[in-house]
Amino acid sequence: MTPFSNHSERLQIVASTKSLQSVREFIASVVSGHGFTDFEENGIVLAVDEACANLITHAFQHDPSQVIEIVVAIDHKQIQVEISDSARPFDPKSVAQPNMDDYLRERRVGGLGISLMRRVMDDIRYVPASPGQPRNTLFLTKRRTA
Amino acid sequence: MSKTPNTFIADVRQGPNDTCLIDLTGYLDAHTASDLEQVIKAAFDGGCRRFVVNFADLDYISSAGLGVFMVFIEDVKRDSGDIKMAAMKDKVFTVFDLLGFQVLFDIFNTVDEAVIAFPDAQ
Repeated sequence: MTPFSNHSERLQIVASTKSLQSVREFIASVVSGHGFTDFEENGIVLAVDEACANLITHAFQHDPSQVIEIVVAIDHKQIQVEISDSARPFDPKSVAQPNMDDYLRERRVGGLGISLMRRVMDDIRYVPASPGQPRNTLFLTKRRTA
Repeated sequence: MSKTPNTFIADVRQGPNDTCLIDLTGYLDAHTASDLEQVIKAAFDGGCRRFVVNFADLDYISSAGLGVFMVFIEDVKRDSGDIKMAAMKDKVFTVFDLLGFQVLFDIFNTVDEAVIAFPDAQ
């Protein structure tokens, strides 16, 4: 397989943090050999882990009956990861308030994950579900530097 | 593709200079972060305030792992303690570096350097 061939793969996971290892192994296996540096590969794996962890923890509240779909597309210009879900577009106000220590921790961790995604990816775009598109989709893009 | 389970182990042992050494192994993510939180909480409740975290065998960390240390750092520092980090692999250090966590946590090349960075115990 040449580094610049077009390539696309898909994975479905249940909304459990147990799935995160499968997510990381899937992303690493798809990205590997396509001309990205180790630093870039590790960053892409991390960003997708963070996005899925946020969905599992916040949007789906660890409900394993829910499914998250991940589609990775690689071409000569970039890698794009689409992460789609059928949760309601996430509204933090809908989350029951835990005790204050837990609440602060949740906010910090969520904020950290988003900060990491922004630092390692070139572009992050969120498209909430609409009548023509029943699933919310997060697009993570990393452009080639070489 | 690896079929190994999503393993994570955090072991606590008594170190020199009144420190608690926490040895991390495996993958620290949103699934395993609660295991680490329980281990640190038990040590904290047992009186430990001088933590040295040995990252030598940790292969992966995400923000959920970083968040565990943030849960405890204020309480530990309030009692004149600290959580010092040591022996990170490059890809783990990168995650700390991306968020500028060196401002919050001292990071050393070796466990010994982290241990002696604490003042001598009374």
